[in-house]
Amino acid sequence: MTDLSRRRLLTTAAALGGASALPFGLRAQEPEKPAEIIVRAWGGVWVDSLKKGVSDPFTAATGVAVRHDLTEDNEIKPRIWAAVDQGRIPPIHINWDTTANATSSALRGACEDISDLPNLANVLPLARPIGLDGVPIVNTYAYVYVLAYRPEAFPDGAPTSWNVLLDPRFRGRVALYNDGIGFHPAAQIAGGGTLADIPGDMDACWEFIAKLKDQQPLLGEDPDFTAWFQNGEIDVACTISSNAREARANGVDVAWTVPQEGAKVDTDGMWIPKGLPENELYWAKRYIDFALSLEAQQVWLDGLGLPGVAPGLTPPADLAGDPSYPTTEADFAKLLLVPPRIQAEHTAEWFAKFKEIMQG
Amino acid sequence: MRGGWLHWTVAALAAAFLAAPSLVVLGASFTAGNIVAFPPEGFSLRWYGQVLSSTALRGAFLRSLEVAAVCTAVAIPAGTLAAVALARWRFRRATAIQLYLLLPFTVPLIGSGIGLMLLFGELRLLGAVWPVGLAACVINLPFMIWAVAASVNGLDPELERAAANCGAGPAQTFLLVTLPAVAPGVVAGALLMFILALNEFLVSLLLVDARTVTLPVHVYNSIRAVITPDLAAVSSIFVLAAAAAIWALDRLVGLDIFLKAK
Amino acid sequence: MTDPDARPQSGSGLGPATGPETSPETGPARGGGPAYPLSWRLLDAIEGLAALWPARASGAVKWALLAPALALVALLLWGLGVMADASLREMDFRTYRLSEDWSLANYARALGSGAFWATARRSLLAAAVVTIICLALAFPYAYAMTRTRSARLRKLLLVGLFLPFFIGQVVRAYGWLIVLGQEGLANEALGALGLGPWRMLFQYPTVLFGLVQYMLPFAVLMLAPALAAIPEEVERAAESCGASWPRALLHVVIPMALPGLIAAALVVATLTLTDFATPAILGGGTNDFLANLVYDQFFRTSDAGLGSAITLLLTLAGTTVAGVLLAAAGVAALGVRGAR
Repeated sequence: MTDLSRRRLLTTAAALGGASALPFGLRAQEPEKPAEIIVRAWGGVWVDSLKKGVSDPFTAATGVAVRHDLTEDNEIKPRIWAAVDQGRIPPIHINWDTTANATSSALRGACEDISDLPNLANVLPLARPIGLDGVPIVNTYAYVYVLAYRPEAFPDGAPTSWNVLLDPRFRGRVALYNDGIGFHPAAQIAGGGTLADIPGDMDACWEFIAKLKDQQPLLGEDPDFTAWFQNGEIDVACTISSNAREARANGVDVAWTVPQEGAKVDTDGMWIPKGLPENELYWAKRYIDFALSLEAQQVWLDGLGLPGVAPGLTPPADLAGDPSYPTTEADFAKLLLVPPRIQAEHTAEWFAKFKEIMQG
Repeated sequence: MRGGWLHWTVAALAAAFLAAPSLVVLGASFTAGNIVAFPPEGFSLRWYGQVLSSTALRGAFLRSLEVAAVCTAVAIPAGTLAAVALARWRFRRATAIQLYLLLPFTVPLIGSGIGLMLLFGELRLLGAVWPVGLAACVINLPFMIWAVAASVNGLDPELERAAANCGAGPAQTFLLVTLPAVAPGVVAGALLMFILALNEFLVSLLLVDARTVTLPVHVYNSIRAVITPDLAAVSSIFVLAAAAAIWALDRLVGLDIFLKAK
Repeated sequence: MTDPDARPQSGSGLGPATGPETSPETGPARGGGPAYPLSWRLLDAIEGLAALWPARASGAVKWALLAPALALVALLLWGLGVMADASLREMDFRTYRLSEDWSLANYARALGSGAFWATARRSLLAAAVVTIICLALAFPYAYAMTRTRSARLRKLLLVGLFLPFFIGQVVRAYGWLIVLGQEGLANEALGALGLGPWRMLFQYPTVLFGLVQYMLPFAVLMLAPALAAIPEEVERAAESCGASWPRALLHVVIPMALPGLIAAALVVATLTLTDFATPAILGGGTNDFLANLVYDQFFRTSDAGLGSAITLLLTLAGTTVAGVLLAAAGVAALGVRGAR
C-alpha cells in the first residue's frame, strides 16, 4: 500500500466515523452489515471513477462490499417501480440517476426520504432537489450540455452560436441526444425564445429543431457521441462535456464551448428505492452520505471532469476556468437551468414532440 | 453438379455476408489499442487476458449456460408434442391455434419482457436463474415447434400404421417409431433453442439482477456505455466455445442430421 | 404421458408386449427367455397406463399433447392482459401513475401521431422487403446445403449458418458499424477505387441490410428440412420427362418446399416487424421501428399506458401479417400431409 492510499484510507475512515457520530434516526448502534450493497451505475469511465472514488474506499472503511449494476438508468426504472408496487425487495440499493429521471420516481413515491444524511448539512445548495417534498434524491454534481466540435472543421476558431448546427456545411454531420434532452433550452434561445417561456411557450425551440431535422442529424446516447467523434462521423454535437473529454482522452481532437446563448446545465443524483430491509437501507444511506464527502467527490469527479457539490473541490487541471465546469454563482448564471420537476412533468410531451419532428 | 453456377454463387455470397461482421469482431478483439477498430491496431492478447481473469464474466457465462439448458429442457417436450399434435390431428381452429402459438414472435420482445417481469414478480420468482430460461423458452418456442413439424410432415404415416399392424401399442408406436423419425427436427430445434437462449438479452434484461446477470445482458449493458475490445474478446471466446460445441455435436450425432429428415 | 390409445386407427385393444419391428432388442428376448428386457416392461407399464385413459376422452388427447405449449405461451397472455388494462389508462405525469378510469385516449394518441404511422410504415415495409430478400438468399443456400455431395462443403455451409448465432445480435450490429462506418473498411475499399466516402450507416437501407443478415440463418434453418424431405429422384424424374432444370425447380421443388417457405416467411416477417436492436444500433436514431416506440414509452417516458397500447397494436399487426401469410398458403403451414 502506498503512503498516499493509506492516508486516503485513514481520512475515509475518519469521515465515515464522523458520519456515524450522527446516526440516522437516533440509532444507538450500527445495524447489521449486509454482505454487499448494489449500486446502479453507468459503465465505462463512469463506473470506473465511482468505484475508485466512492465504492472501494467505502468498502475499505465499512467492510460492506459494493456491487455495480450496469443496467441503464431508463431500463432499471420499470423494474424498480414493479418491485415497489408488488412489495418486493428492489433489485438495487442505490440508483445513480439523472435528476430528471429520478424526479419521476420521486413523484411516483418510489424513493426513500434521505433528508437525514449528515453530510447534507455541509454541501452546496445544488445538492438538494428543487420543488419536491423532503429529500427523495440528492444531487451529486452538475454537468453541461456543451457544443462539442472537431477543431479541424472550424479553422476560424470555436463556433460562437448554436446556429452553427444549421450550417449547410455540416449537413449529416451533426448529432443530438435521441430524446432531444439537453437541447431544448439552447434551441429555445437560439430560436428567438426565452428561458422563462419554458414550458409555457416553446414554439421557438420546436421551430429550431424542425430546421435542424433538415440537417439530417444523428441521434444517439452518451457512448455514441464518443464513438462518432472517434470514427469521424460527425463534426459538431450537443452533448455532455464528459463524452467529448473522453474522446479527447482517446486521442481524438475534440473541443467544446458554451455558445453565447448559453447551454443547459443539469445534475445527476442518487436515491434509494423503497422496500429495502431496515439495515440495508441504513448502509445504503451511509454510502450516499459518503459520496457527498469532499474526498470521495474529489477522486470520483476528477475521473468524470464534473463539478461536485462538496465545497472546496480542486478542479482537474484541464478544466479549471472551463465554462463547462461551473463552480461559482456567476458561472451558473451563464447557463440555462430547467427545474427537474418541470422536466419530469413534461418529459413525455417534449419527447413526443421531438419524435414527431425527427421520425416524421 | 445440378443447379448451375448462379445458385452456387448466391450461396457463396450469402455465406460471406453471414460471416463478415463476425470476422470483423473477431479481428478487432486482437487489437493492442483501446478502441474497437478493424483492422486492429497492432496485435495483442491483453483483452483476452482481461476477460479470462474476470470472475464476473465467468459467473455470467455459467448462468447463461444454465438459462440455455433450462430453456432447451422445457422446449424439447413442449415443442415436440405440440408439433406432433398439430401435424397428426385436425384441429377445428387450426389457424387460430397457429396464430396463438406465434404470439412469442408477434408480441414485441420488450412487451414480453415487461409482462413476464410483472408475472414472475407476482409469483416471487425473480432473482432465480431458471425463470430466465423459462422465459427464453417461451419467446422462442415457435422455432422448436416448426423445426419438429418439418420432420413430422416428412414422416410417412404408413410407418406408424405398419408398427400398429405388427402389434405395437400406441405408446410404443409413439416412442419407438414416431419419436425417432422426428429426431432430426428435435435436434435442430433443440440446438436453435439452446443457442438463442444463450444469447438472449432483451427479455433477460428485465428478469435478471446484478447477482444473476447473464453474459449477453452484461455485454449489452457494457456496450451501452462504451464498446471496448474486451467485449469483442468475449464474443470471440463465445464463438470458440460454440465451435467446440458444434464440433462435439458433429462427432456425437452428425451435424447434418436435420438435413436428412425422411 | 398422454393417451396414444385415442389416436385414430391405432388398432383396437392392446396386444401383448411384442416389441415393434424396429427395436433392436426384439431378437434375443423373444421365445421365453429368462425375462423380458427392462425396456419392454417399461413399455408395458406405459401401455397399461394408456389403457386407463377413458376411451371417450379421445378428442382430449390431441389437446393434451398441445397443452404444454399452450401453457407456455399463456405466460405471455397474462402480460398481454395486464397491458390491455394499462393501455386503457392514461398516465398522469404529475404523479407518474395511471388513471383510475378507462378511456381510449392512448389509442387515439398513438393513431393520431405522425411518428407512429411513419414508424409503422417503416416496420411493415421492412418486414416485406427483408422477407423477400431472405427467401431469395435462403433458398439457394439451403438448396446447396442439402444437395451437395461433398460432406465437407455441407459442413462448411452449416457452420457458416450456426456461427453467427453465437455472436449476438448487438455485437454483430457493432461489427457492421465497423465495416460500414465513414472511415470503415467498406469506405476504405471505395476510397482505393477513387470513390466515396459514402454515408452508409444510419440510413434505412442499412437497417434492412443488417436485418437480412440477422434473419438469413433463421430462414435457411426453416427451409432446409423441407428441401431435404424432397427426394432428389422427384427432380430427376421431372427432368427426364423433358423439363429443364429451372422448370423442374419452379413446378416441382418450390411447390413441394412450400411449407418450409411459408415457415421461413412467417419467422422472418414477424421477427423483423417486431425487431428492436437492429434499427436502434444501425438506424442512428432516425429510423425507428414500432418496437423502438414501445421501448421509448416503457423506458424513456415511463408512459406504460401508451407503451401498452402500441404493444397491442404491434401484436395485432404481427398476427394479421402471419394470418395473411397462412391464408395465402391456402393451408396451414403445419399438419398438411399428416392430418387425419
